[in-house]
Amino acid sequence: MNETSKSLAENWAAGQQAMWKPFFPWTAGQSGEPKPAANSNPLEEQFNELRDTWQASVAKWTDFAKEATQGELPSADKLREMFAPAAWAHGAASGPGVFDAALQRVLEGPRYAVLWDLDRQLLELQKLTLQRDKAVAAYQAVVQKAWNAAFQRFAKALGSDQQTSAKLTWRSLTDKWLAVANDTLIEVHRSEKFIEAQRHMLRAASDRHLQERKIAEAWCEAGHIPTRSEIDELQRHVVELRREVRLLRRATPTGATPAAAAGARKAPARRPRTASKRART
Amino acid sequence: MPATRTSPAAQAVAELDDLNLKLARGQRMLRRLKDEDVQIATADKEVVFREDKTTLYRYKSTAKRTIGVPVLVAYGQIGRYTMTDLQEDRSMLRNLLALGVDIYAVDWGSPTRGDRWLTFEDYVDVYLADCIEHICRAHDLPAINLLGICEGGVFSLCYAALYPERIKNLILTITPVDFHQDQAEGRLNHGFVNLWTRGLGDDDIERLIEANGNLPGELMSYVFSQMTPGATMSKYNVGLLDTFDDEKRLLNFLRMEKWLADRPHHPGEAAKQLLINLYKNNELVRGEFQLGGRKVNLKDIKVPVLNVFAKDDHVIPPKTTQALRRAVGSNDYTEIGLDGGHVGVFVGGKSQGVLGKGIADWLKKRD
Repeated sequence: MNETSKSLAENWAAGQQAMWKPFFPWTAGQSGEPKPAANSNPLEEQFNELRDTWQASVAKWTDFAKEATQGELPSADKLREMFAPAAWAHGAASGPGVFDAALQRVLEGPRYAVLWDLDRQLLELQKLTLQRDKAVAAYQAVVQKAWNAAFQRFAKALGSDQQTSAKLTWRSLTDKWLAVANDTLIEVHRSEKFIEAQRHMLRAASDRHLQERKIAEAWCEAGHIPTRSEIDELQRHVVELRREVRLLRRATPTGATPAAAAGARKAPARRPRTASKRART
Repeated sequence: MPATRTSPAAQAVAELDDLNLKLARGQRMLRRLKDEDVQIATADKEVVFREDKTTLYRYKSTAKRTIGVPVLVAYGQIGRYTMTDLQEDRSMLRNLLALGVDIYAVDWGSPTRGDRWLTFEDYVDVYLADCIEHICRAHDLPAINLLGICEGGVFSLCYAALYPERIKNLILTITPVDFHQDQAEGRLNHGFVNLWTRGLGDDDIERLIEANGNLPGELMSYVFSQMTPGATMSKYNVGLLDTFDDEKRLLNFLRMEKWLADRPHHPGEAAKQLLINLYKNNELVRGEFQLGGRKVNLKDIKVPVLNVFAKDDHVIPPKTTQALRRAVGSNDYTEIGLDGGHVGVFVGGKSQGVLGKGIADWLKKRD
């Protein structure tokens, strides 16, 4: 915590205590000040409870202010801005404050609302990127283990046949190495660990890719540009419509394509199928 | 220079010398070669029908017709049909043409994000169906021969089950039928795609498609590369180096690279059907696979069936395709097992004389 932030937090806490002190002159922790007698009357009890609640609240806000200066919550500058009267006023020299900006986003509609959402989307992308990198690292670890095993086998094979190894040429050595590596890697590629690592990697890459697309689409929407999803949907409609058109043509001899007409002439009509049927449904 | 060197130091120097010479030779060849020198799918053909991104080609005959009913070749979406005519001396299509077969081939094109919503129904009921209708009309025939390859074989099976009256003979090559038989032979290097897909949750696949629109071709290339890790890691060093002895070998290598680099994206919804309904749920062989509300019942296939598989196919392990024998309703079922792997059936030197001839001979008996 730097000095400026520390002093801001302390000042803020002192300010809060000073503000509430007149209401609760007997607040705990203030030595030399009178404390109310315990269980004097029900009204007094309730008042004491209220006092304790306020005290706890003040303590929480003090902690909050201290945490804020450590950068975990809004920064000291942001807090200052939040409580500075100038930031509340429109047309202040420093421009609109955070509250005005939020209001502006609401007023200006989807564009800024999307941009506000973009922060979270970018964080999600960052998270998915990390997950993908972890999945890639896990996959590489499995592959690396396979290479180590291959090398150990190769070394063992060479060591066990000293006579042959003395006559080895670079080419026969390479061929031997390739054969050992090939067998070892094939074994590993069939292992559950490898298959699972590869599945995770592929899934993580797909998830990240889709999140990336989500962000790109947010920008597209803000810029009034059609998104990938919209184009995909459009293409799907076109494909489905074309299927329907084909079915209709085949059902209508006058509008039939030459191929379909020939089919109608020489063979039984094609068996109908559901035009809009999607794969696997 | 002595014929044999006994000193390890002399051996090392000689090896280094050979390596440097090879590298220099390769560098010279690569500098001389241009992209136009590396051409694939060059057999003479013409476009006879188009619909959306689908193109139907008819190949120019190179020999007197020996089989009256034409053959339509349908590849899948994981890879391009150009594999069937990779180069002049390694081409199933050219071999068939030379044996007097009238050949058509369908090219699904290169799907983009806009094709995300295309399903198996679109490929079977529309594109493949319209190509077949076109050929039937052009030849005034009620039915033709259909040759499906890999996923194109699955399309062909679906079509033949739903429109049996349009198929005279059905030929399948390296086609998966029972997707859960990948480890029936216990070969560890077989069926990784099956295992990989079963390891994914339905929601993983749906998120993958949602995120990318399609099943990215690059992802499938990556999955394939994991099936042969040794070959993958040595391809651009030892593998390439081996081709530097001979320009023809280098060109073969580069043509294969060209084909591999041209792996299309698989339309998203159809990819979900392939991965979830077929690979994961194994619905085809169970008779539960549905297209547009109709069940694909393989027992409805009663026409003659020829099933060609590769004995060392790590992508479509033999048992996954041999399951067809019990699944179809045909009494005329033939199998040809060829040496080699998934792609080797089409481009391998050994299979060149066997694959085309095997198909042509089988067809002649049923023409």
